[in-house]
Amino acid sequence: MTIATNKEFSARRTNVLRLGSVLLAAVASACTSTPTPDQMSRTAVETAPADLQLLCANAAAQAGGVESSKVLPTSSRKLDAKTYQVDLNVGGKPVSCTVDTEGNVISV
Amino acid sequence: MNVNPEGAKTCSGGGRGGLQRFSLAKAAILLATGLAFSVGVALAAGTQVYNPKTGQWTNYDRTQAYKYYRTHKQVPESFRMQVVKFRTAEQPGTIIIDGNQHFLYLVQPGQKAIRYGIGVGRDGFGWAGIVRVGRTAEWPTWTPPAEMVARDPNARKWAKGQPGGPDNPLGARALYLYEGDQDTIYRIHGTPEPWTIGLDVSSGCIRMNNDDIVDLHSRIQVGAKVIVLMQGAALYKGV
Repeated sequence: MTIATNKEFSARRTNVLRLGSVLLAAVASACTSTPTPDQMSRTAVETAPADLQLLCANAAAQAGGVESSKVLPTSSRKLDAKTYQVDLNVGGKPVSCTVDTEGNVISV
Repeated sequence: MNVNPEGAKTCSGGGRGGLQRFSLAKAAILLATGLAFSVGVALAAGTQVYNPKTGQWTNYDRTQAYKYYRTHKQVPESFRMQVVKFRTAEQPGTIIIDGNQHFLYLVQPGQKAIRYGIGVGRDGFGWAGIVRVGRTAEWPTWTPPAEMVARDPNARKWAKGQPGGPDNPLGARALYLYEGDQDTIYRIHGTPEPWTIGLDVSSGCIRMNNDDIVDLHSRIQVGAKVIVLMQGAALYKGV
């Protein structure tokens, strides 16, 4: 067994710190995703994508036995990374719907 | 199809006029720097676009939009015409407008849609509903509604109608939106101010680049269903 000199210890510590920095940078870049060209705009109001809002409207029309032309999404919000809540006007009545990013209506 | 219909009173964008008028407005804003800052902050709550070079989202207000258009001769990529995935039970040919995100979708077969960038109504002028295309026009005449004539001195001289042409606020084509058989006064139309796509600028009409509205006009049928989604709408039509 050998005892490391102060100089060797310092060099090892520097190498460990460099490796840590590289790993940290890699993790950070993986977490910061670059949007695809079709998603390079956004607004302060983070609404559900239009197709998901209308999938909810269609599901609510079927569930309520109402013509789809009488169902309109009025507002929406992101619940978590994979789920949106959509508020609907169904023939004059407020109805809430949740839908996931794959287009599966979870509840009406 | 009607060509240059007379007497069709329509909404139109706020801030009519071309580059010259915009430059004057910009100069005025630069002079009043304090006011310009507060205006900038107010608009910052609106659209943002991603800059791939810096990897950052930046505010996209009217001044930034004009600068971008002057530099690139087109709007940011997100607002250009493109085919996108669109899961829907709506029939192909249906028009769906996402007023909050500034997109117009024309539903295509196979769970796809053609997506176009749009400009929509500014605060207090946004609306939502389910309407239809009642008629269309090429290089339409623009006749401002009485309320606009009353509040906008620039609209006053066209109270009896501005003939179609490159300076006309309705641009190259107009799709007139009807609720049943009733004209809503709202239109989907072109614009002589293409840099305003992606912004909340109009009096309730949906504006598109002239190339895009010509393309959309060539693809749709009179009678097509139009669904307008707008969170925080001031008005509802057809529901």
